[in-house]
Amino acid sequence: MIMSTLKEYLEGYAGGIKSLLVGMRTSMKVFCQKKVTEQYPENRHTTLHIAERHRAMLVMPHDEENHHHCIACGLCQMNCPNGTIRLTTEMQEDGEGKKKKVLVKYEYNLGSCMFCEVCVNVCPQHAIRFSNEFENAVFEKEKLLLTLNHEGSSLAK
Amino acid sequence: MEQYYDLTPLLNLIHTWLCGWMPEWLALTLEGIVVGVFILIMYAVLAIILIYMERKVCAAFQCRIGPNRVGGKGGLLQVPADVIKILTKEIITLKNADRFLYNLAPFLVILASILTFSCLPWNKGGEILHMNIGIFFVLAASSIGVLGILLAGWSSNSKYTLIGAVRSGAMIISYELSIGICVLTMVVLSGTMDIQAIVANQADGWNLFKGHIIAIAAFIIYLIAGNAEANRGPFDLAEAEQELTAGYHTEYSGMHFGFFYLAEYLNLFITAGIATTLFLGGWMPLHISGLDGFNQVMDFIPGVVWFVGKTFAVVFLLMWIRWTFPRLRIDQVLTLEWKYLMPVSLVVLLLMTVCKVFGLVF
Amino acid sequence: MELIEKIKKTAPDATVSENGEPVVSVSAQELHQVAEALYADSEHPMDYLRDIVGMDWGETGLGALYLLESTRTGHRIILKTVTADREQAFLPTVSDLWKTALIKEREVFDFFGIRFLNHPDMRRIFLREDWKGYPLRKDYDMNSNPLNMENEVNADITDEYFLKPDGTIADKKNIVFDQKDFVVNIGPQHPSTHGVLRMRTSLDGENICKVDPILGYIHRGIEKLNESLTYPQTLALTDRLDYLSAHQNRHALCMCIEKAAGIEISERAQYIRTIMDELQRIDSHLLFYSCLVMDMGGLTPFFYGFREREMILDIFEETTGGRLIQNYNMIGGVQADIHPTFCTKVKEFIAHLRSVIKDYHDIFTGNVIARTRLQGVGILSREDAISLGCTGGTGRASGWANDVRKHHPYALYDKVDFKEITYTEGDSFARYMVRMDEIMESCHIIEQLIDNIPAGEYKVKTKPILKLPEGVFTSSVETSRGEFDVVLESHGDKTPYRLHYRSTGMPLVHAMDTVCRGQKIADLIAIGGTLDFVIPDIDR
Repeated sequence: MIMSTLKEYLEGYAGGIKSLLVGMRTSMKVFCQKKVTEQYPENRHTTLHIAERHRAMLVMPHDEENHHHCIACGLCQMNCPNGTIRLTTEMQEDGEGKKKKVLVKYEYNLGSCMFCEVCVNVCPQHAIRFSNEFENAVFEKEKLLLTLNHEGSSLAK
Repeated sequence: MEQYYDLTPLLNLIHTWLCGWMPEWLALTLEGIVVGVFILIMYAVLAIILIYMERKVCAAFQCRIGPNRVGGKGGLLQVPADVIKILTKEIITLKNADRFLYNLAPFLVILASILTFSCLPWNKGGEILHMNIGIFFVLAASSIGVLGILLAGWSSNSKYTLIGAVRSGAMIISYELSIGICVLTMVVLSGTMDIQAIVANQADGWNLFKGHIIAIAAFIIYLIAGNAEANRGPFDLAEAEQELTAGYHTEYSGMHFGFFYLAEYLNLFITAGIATTLFLGGWMPLHISGLDGFNQVMDFIPGVVWFVGKTFAVVFLLMWIRWTFPRLRIDQVLTLEWKYLMPVSLVVLLLMTVCKVFGLVF
Repeated sequence: MELIEKIKKTAPDATVSENGEPVVSVSAQELHQVAEALYADSEHPMDYLRDIVGMDWGETGLGALYLLESTRTGHRIILKTVTADREQAFLPTVSDLWKTALIKEREVFDFFGIRFLNHPDMRRIFLREDWKGYPLRKDYDMNSNPLNMENEVNADITDEYFLKPDGTIADKKNIVFDQKDFVVNIGPQHPSTHGVLRMRTSLDGENICKVDPILGYIHRGIEKLNESLTYPQTLALTDRLDYLSAHQNRHALCMCIEKAAGIEISERAQYIRTIMDELQRIDSHLLFYSCLVMDMGGLTPFFYGFREREMILDIFEETTGGRLIQNYNMIGGVQADIHPTFCTKVKEFIAHLRSVIKDYHDIFTGNVIARTRLQGVGILSREDAISLGCTGGTGRASGWANDVRKHHPYALYDKVDFKEITYTEGDSFARYMVRMDEIMESCHIIEQLIDNIPAGEYKVKTKPILKLPEGVFTSSVETSRGEFDVVLESHGDKTPYRLHYRSTGMPLVHAMDTVCRGQKIADLIAIGGTLDFVIPDIDR
């Protein structure tokens, strides 16, 4: 009885020490391995990889002639769960006398956007998309209010 | 060659020169002040080095780089910057704390640490506090620290700090036993309590080798218990971050917190330093019998380098342990001490005495 | 349904709904009898209460849905009960049969103001104690609670309501914490509560006497918000429940809406969804490992888990565009086709994980300190696990085979071969091992699917404005930490009438009290780590 208890005690001792040594071997192995840290601002132009599909902010692509594809239908504004998008539109008459709604200002609040992509999904013209430009930190909240359509832009023909 | 680096003649020379043109009491006071300032500076510098080392070593264990921005690529100025930051921070006063004890506690902790620190044998003749019961004094002085921890926990009037302090008290008092017995083992082997004499005894071989496997066992037990004394992982349950946020120093800020922090790192160094003194030959160079050329080269290296080098090697070992293992629970810490370490250290002491009596050591 | 026949024997007036899934309505007076009969049924003992869903049916009154399941046969049934009195709404408690009702009924009380008779602890659970009104009632005034900056004082006394013999209802006070108790606040800001959870813990020295979780510090009212969102919009919020089960949560809601709308999704989308769910499970379990190890003071292995998790997040980001909040599943399929490099990346990752997992076990699993800290600590018996509704790895560690993927297969889980990991010890170590084994099992599932993704559409076309038919619809998935259910009641509009999620973490937090009693403070942290809850999922 005592012998078996003593044996158990000694085995527990030896097993414990062995497990500790195995642990120390493992940590030493990692100690000698190459470190995985990425140095962020330095690696911006070298190893930094931001996925193409990463959603960092909403943008409205414009072509060289400063044309966008937004027909000011307002679906994105209606579907946004947070009220992040606000469109200002006006009625314009085209050459043939038909009245048409055109975009004046496309306001987007990056601060309240939750990147759910519903706006992009409902857009019938693919006029907006998410870009992967992620360095959007600013010091003032107001700077997060963005206007997506460029100055003097108009609807592509 | 060792005599070369002996500091005793130089120090005697300075003393005689000072006594030549001022009364001896003044000379002694002056020397005391100079040495005191020297200790404090050494203390601070070593703390900075140790903190930097800990951060780099811990980072390497965790697949990281560690501080690398402040002061060039190596982040050398990170810790000095942190020290300046902590010096400028406000020391808050708590509403319902015991103001006197609350302010006293960090000083007690740092006092214990500095007293112990002064006993380390840096070099031949390079010991600041020298007495014939040096190692006994070290044990006595180091246990003042736990008083500071208990006071800090009690006076902060917070439940977290109280639990942390009581844990720490229970743990340190238990582990003092093992440390005491291990130290005693070496005292038996050396036949003296004088730190310089213990080191001098190891001129023909470090105690670790002199005392066979018994000394090695004592060394390991000393390291475990010393780690616990220094409140470091896996025995850091006094300040178990995940349970008690910061344990006994939760309510401290600014330099008061800084004192605890400094003392923690210096206690690590002291633990390692005492281990070096007792087991690894202190400032004695490494000699391998039979290789005379090698031994002579080793002799050229000053004793202080040997001492600091060995101490940092032990510090690294302790850091390695800390950054590998999870933390123990309070009852397990005490079980480990009372059921495993204590019996073994008693056996070690007995065996060492028997060996010494029958002349079985080298 | 023979079960319905049996219910009719106890409650002759019980009716079964015709729309959506069968819901058995019983009157409030008969509810407890019916519940008792179902609980003690000889063939299909309904011993597992999945959820209680509070409801406000306007004119009809307030009430609740009770989702029951038999752990023996896997049979499920939904009970419905209504009380017409909106001012003094009382329902009988079922907490004497299922312990999980103790916390679920508090949720219903908090949101709907239904008091449960004989429930010993009728405090609010998510909202402040001085909150006015019951927010999920349809007639709740949104302006009745302006922002309150006062500190909330927690009462140590709680109410119990009971029926006096003369038929009136009386109120009795129960004590939560005594004056003499040494109560330590663990949380809401604490390093190891994994978020803003607060546990008032009374201690005797280092030993725990009682744990009282206080929830709601990150309550966002997602269920209330959902009632004003269209179906595609509701999807965005599911990722924010249990952020470590983002894919799976969204999968459940998509399945529920697809089932209600009768949308068949393509084989390819099913494959992608299944693979993503399993990757998410590995992701979550790696984080579980990291956090558990860190909770126990081992800071180095913490980084091992994060190192590998980072690779999964990169894979996710490449395909879904998100790392934590992915927004990938959609009604009718998935948001985008998998990235061209997806399959190779996943295979590389699995090979890498298999090569490093040994390090994980070497440094922690085998470690004598870890073993003594976890083995035999925080034992949860099988009976308690079922009664408390502790699903997922926690239940399986106690020997309760509750994997939804096995017992109610969805997506491709009936086509792949995998083991349901169960342990019988029920201690913290078993809970830890279940998760570690599940990592390997998930790798095994992914390996079976990754090379066989069929060609085809990744998304089927759906109507631009989606309206669901009337009725109650449910769906359940196995998320990283247990059974996640969606209960959707539609009244035929484009927004849900009520959309409820079963929180996987709430029963786990509730179990803390049972599991922790008599253990040490350090064990509380270890147990919390192994139960593996995520707070936003509890608070919703």
